[in-house]
Amino acid sequence: MATTLSAPKLTAFSSSQTLQTLCKRIPISLYPQSPSSPFSVSTARISLLARRASLSHRHRFAARAESDNGAEPRRYDFDLFTIGAGSGGVRASRFAANLGASVAICELPFATISSETSGGVGGTCVLRGCVPKKLLVFASKYSHEFEESHGFGWKYEAEPKHDWSILMANKNAELQRLTGIYKNILKNAGVTLIEGRGKIVDPHTVDVDGKLYSARHILIAVGGRPFIPEIPGSEYAIDSDKALDLPSKPEKIAIIGGGYIALEFAGIFNGLTTDVHVFIRQKKVLRGFDEEVRDFVAEQMSLRGIEFHTEESPQAILKSADGSLTLKTTKGAVEGFSHVMFATGRKPNTKNLGLEEVGVKMTKNGAIEVDEYSHTSVPSIWAVGDVTDRVNLTPVALMEGMALAKTLFANEPTKPDYRAIPSAVFSQPPIGQVGLTEEQAIKEYGDVDIYTENFRPLKATLSGLPDRIFMKIIACAKTNKVLGLHMCGEDSAEIVQGFAVAVKAGLTKADFDMTVGIHPTSAEELVTMRTPKRKIRNGSPPEGKDSEVKAAAGV
Amino acid sequence: MLQTEEIIRLNGIYKRLLSNAGVKLYEGEGKIVGPNEVEVTQLDGTKIFYSAKHILIATGSRAQRPPIPGKELAITSDEALSLDELPKRAVVLGGGYIAVEFASIWRGMGSTVDLCFRKELPLRGFDDEMRAAVARNLEGRGINLHPRTNLKALVKTEEGMKVLTDHGEEIIADVVLFATGRIPNTKRLNLEAVGVELDKIGAVKVDEYSRTNVPSIWAIGDVTNRMNLTPVALMEGTYFAKTVFGGEPCKPDYSNIPCAVFCIPPLSVVGLNEEQAIEKAKGDVLVFTSTFNPMKNTISGRQEKTIMKLVVDAETDKVLGASMCGPDGPEIMQGIAVALKCGATKAQFDSTVGIHPSAAEEFVTMRSVTRRVSKPKTNL
Repeated sequence: MATTLSAPKLTAFSSSQTLQTLCKRIPISLYPQSPSSPFSVSTARISLLARRASLSHRHRFAARAESDNGAEPRRYDFDLFTIGAGSGGVRASRFAANLGASVAICELPFATISSETSGGVGGTCVLRGCVPKKLLVFASKYSHEFEESHGFGWKYEAEPKHDWSILMANKNAELQRLTGIYKNILKNAGVTLIEGRGKIVDPHTVDVDGKLYSARHILIAVGGRPFIPEIPGSEYAIDSDKALDLPSKPEKIAIIGGGYIALEFAGIFNGLTTDVHVFIRQKKVLRGFDEEVRDFVAEQMSLRGIEFHTEESPQAILKSADGSLTLKTTKGAVEGFSHVMFATGRKPNTKNLGLEEVGVKMTKNGAIEVDEYSHTSVPSIWAVGDVTDRVNLTPVALMEGMALAKTLFANEPTKPDYRAIPSAVFSQPPIGQVGLTEEQAIKEYGDVDIYTENFRPLKATLSGLPDRIFMKIIACAKTNKVLGLHMCGEDSAEIVQGFAVAVKAGLTKADFDMTVGIHPTSAEELVTMRTPKRKIRNGSPPEGKDSEVKAAAGV
Repeated sequence: MLQTEEIIRLNGIYKRLLSNAGVKLYEGEGKIVGPNEVEVTQLDGTKIFYSAKHILIATGSRAQRPPIPGKELAITSDEALSLDELPKRAVVLGGGYIAVEFASIWRGMGSTVDLCFRKELPLRGFDDEMRAAVARNLEGRGINLHPRTNLKALVKTEEGMKVLTDHGEEIIADVVLFATGRIPNTKRLNLEAVGVELDKIGAVKVDEYSRTNVPSIWAIGDVTNRMNLTPVALMEGTYFAKTVFGGEPCKPDYSNIPCAVFCIPPLSVVGLNEEQAIEKAKGDVLVFTSTFNPMKNTISGRQEKTIMKLVVDAETDKVLGASMCGPDGPEIMQGIAVALKCGATKAQFDSTVGIHPSAAEEFVTMRSVTRRVSKPKTNL
């Protein structure tokens, strides 16, 4: 019976090329023992596919075990097909290949600006995010350093001037180099890289610009893109992609948004002597961050000349005859901008991927819904990174990608661990944080001890500039465990990383205190905070000034 | 000028710290005249005697000058920090942290710098791989290194100072800095008369509680030549106060004390270096390294690699030591030191998500072992 079924004349289903391909690969061992009439063959195939689907759902972790069966022929072109060669996609693909899987990955052709048809190997982080942003932060920091240098004895004829075109050229050359490195990483891991736009055709098939590829598993790692809300004149606005690749430096810029992207660009352009105005909907920047950090960073940024327009939302952008832009807001109008930039959020790239048709469930804002193992609602389809809108950070996408590779191909079901993930904002001054904010800690733990320091770093004593550093450690009053650590000031990101290991490991404030300081550094302040600034008991501080601050913060 | 102002300002702050704590400050030279008696010679020459239940010696150390002909022409770090002029050409003798820091400082300001040291590499006692990185970086920044070199003589000439090395080289310099070590300040304390024991180099001998052989006399800091770092002196001082006046005898813990050398780029370490780990570990030692050109350099064009290293006990997975030579090393190492001090494992490091982009994240993403060093099997 089985042999007859293996080379039948397909009638109703012969038109489907995909189904034919699938059918050729159906293992003999899974064939049900049914009569050989054409009708029952078709039924057998339908029920076979249904059984296969339910099998893979129930035995998702046996996926690898199946392929270990030496008697089985290969059924798919690849064990894993990844759509999107960014942080999550490359990590998952690479490690899957290292674990013995056959992997393919597709990615749109390279461009500095992302779109429906352009992207590039390396993804947002490498091409339009972390990397170029950090390079521009480096570039923009020099003006502050030149200012600092006078107090240290440096004199020069004229203040150094900045050439934007040199920065752009060098930045772009670096991106090219990095995208090449990522391509090599994939090549060296034995991952097949396909250039083109991937679209899901069915649970095991991806179409890349017309060519079909079948895979046991499909991974969606297409990331997200900046989102510009529709207001009159929004066509004159730029997003972060464009801001990283402008033809010339802005003279006066309106940045709309209060999140990390808005603040980072505010710092970049301010450092390059642009006149910077930041418009935010809220009372304060960086919603979700520790309240004291939100206040501190805004104050430090204002001292550098950045103007914040709080509780002011854009209504329209008008272009005048001389080409300058006027921003009409809920509070009035500000004119003379050379650029208006929206940094109001990013949306997952889930349009035109075939997701709705294949049945992949999505959230209200278009992110792909996944479980703790990055599994979508379709058994053979998985998703990691920004497209799932969990914690949109490169190292988290890397963690999700690695965990998935282990789950699928190392027979070790692995859930990414989202506890105590440190992160940084590369504003100027920058922010580093790990664990809970004070507000979150009070909510979750009730009784907490708050340690803070607000000091002038050593460098500022000679530079004469108003730079300060703010540090905060939140400890559980009962167990002394460090629940959160926050810092705003020079070198925050570098400093917080090591402390994140300590926080993740559940260390206590006493552990911190018994560590000898490295002197002289700023970091040593974090191991020498002896007395709590305030003790919160039963969710409220002792009566006094602090309680007013807390009340204002809505705690 | 600004630096002097700052030093004066800090001096004032320290005076206030003492007075706010109710400590009486006497200006003058102190000398021990009995187990419970101190003689202070004031600035006008008059002597006052004070009796005390306990006497604490914390006189620190001073730079020493090697017995080289012409040594009076050279300066030490004290003078180096207050020079009237930046030397155009400087020769630095020494291989320790003070020598490399000043070499870097002067080179950074544009001086021509020659660094002479006795060993093959500077910074003896530090991890060998890190020492090599420091040497490479110093050279990369244009400092002329003279390894396995001592100075024979300094001679004053019209063109400046002629410095003769024991390799027969002659270097003309405006400033010669002796940075060959510091010795404890115990000469004028009258310690021998009181019976306080000193070691070979004149450091005060103390037990784990910082007590000398005279029960009422204690000593902390550089004068005891244990670990000559400010935070360690602070720790010793704190524990002394707790032991003697807090009713809780406690010993300072010298394990896993992080420190930094502020050459450019800086070096920072905590725990055991590779060589020490191999010696002390019961079994194999795993070495993880990450060497890379930092992001900033890819645009600036500077060829200067950062190197970061973790040394792990293969059996227990405990991180025995961490080191880094590269920009921001000291700031990065502080948090790593907390984890290490508390016995964190490599797995705990690896389970910590990185902060991106940073140099520090390399410490939590070292996936592959660079080398595994097995303990050589000894036949009894």
